[in-house]
Amino acid sequence: MDGGYNNYSSTYGGGGGGGGGFMPGEMNNSPSGGKSDYANQTLRPITIKQALDAIQPYPEAPYQIDSAEISSICFIGQVRNISSQSTNVTYKIDDGTGEIEAKQWIDSMTADSMDTDDAANPKATRGRDGKVELNGYAKVFGKLKSFGNKRFVGAHCVRPVKNLDEVHCHLLEASAVHLFFTRGAPGAGAGAGGGGGVKGDAAMGGTGDEYGAGAGGVGKNLPAMSPVAKRVYQLLRTEPQSNEGLHAQLIAAKLSLPMPDVARAGDELLTAGVIFSTVDEQTWAILEF
Amino acid sequence: MSLQTPRILPSHLHAFHPSSTGPRTSHTVRILGTVTALRGDTATMTCGNHGDVTLILKPDSHLQMGKLVEIIGKVADLDNGSGVGIRVLGSTDWGSPADCDYKIYEHVVNATHKLKPIFYDE
Repeated sequence: MDGGYNNYSSTYGGGGGGGGGFMPGEMNNSPSGGKSDYANQTLRPITIKQALDAIQPYPEAPYQIDSAEISSICFIGQVRNISSQSTNVTYKIDDGTGEIEAKQWIDSMTADSMDTDDAANPKATRGRDGKVELNGYAKVFGKLKSFGNKRFVGAHCVRPVKNLDEVHCHLLEASAVHLFFTRGAPGAGAGAGGGGGVKGDAAMGGTGDEYGAGAGGVGKNLPAMSPVAKRVYQLLRTEPQSNEGLHAQLIAAKLSLPMPDVARAGDELLTAGVIFSTVDEQTWAILEF
Repeated sequence: MSLQTPRILPSHLHAFHPSSTGPRTSHTVRILGTVTALRGDTATMTCGNHGDVTLILKPDSHLQMGKLVEIIGKVADLDNGSGVGIRVLGSTDWGSPADCDYKIYEHVVNATHKLKPIFYDE
């Protein structure tokens, strides 16, 4: 039994939504340490073990988890200790995978405007969730920091969690995002998933019969491609359209994506030979056999 | 290294038993279930349709019948030699079992054991 649950089956199609919008590999291309991470405004759900295991490639560098730079993080755990000082409140949080301290600075200036952090401001009206309690569950939003050799989280917001499903959902979300970064986006066999990608390529050269089979989901045998390209492909599949297909502007609007991203995704799909341009270069339709 | 408490289902109990061979050093686990019987210093918890677990209570554990509780405890032999149970170290009351979807917990247990790198050390 012990060995029984170690082997991972590669079917995780269900929970992929969590990480949408950024590509693995995109994160590593800023070698300058001083460069701030304004471009990386992500909020990543993680476990405390991931926070403790996060890698700092060189001193003062942004932390990385699964080779992707992290910006803001969030996690849910049980509050094991609350220590209130005059300038900050420190929570010790334990989520079963590890323990870390979350430090929330008290800013008297925000006392009347912030209704998200009731702990820092005891006089504020309590939200409907009440206050963070000892041994209760709390969700922490913040940034990973270190002081000396000790890691902690500079918390923007600490709020109580009253629904167990939310705790479980978070753990699954953290799993999904971890898989996104380590194995690629779900759906396409993800390229990174070893055999899956090869099979997809074979299907490309072959009849492409299997394309239609993936009803609802993105076709199972698509070659590895970026998440944006996959979304564009998915939209082209599902959106009602004439045989002229859809214009890039319309796709951008439907997916709420900037035009350059859609254009890049279009190029990717054109190169892969899964779509073709119809009335002009910006209007695309699915290439079906 | 702080203490880790893997989330489990009753079928995993023996894997965390002190006698089980393996590199595991900790026998402390987390388990979720509904309190279905209270007998003074022991209690029975039903874990969805995964069967029952006997809990060895400590004097200050206040479990209530019919409530969904999350237990943190050590896997231990029962006094009467009737198998394996959990010696309760801490418990969290989550109210009515109807407010939680046990299926999600099953998926969490599955995911946590398949994705050791982000959840638990070996």
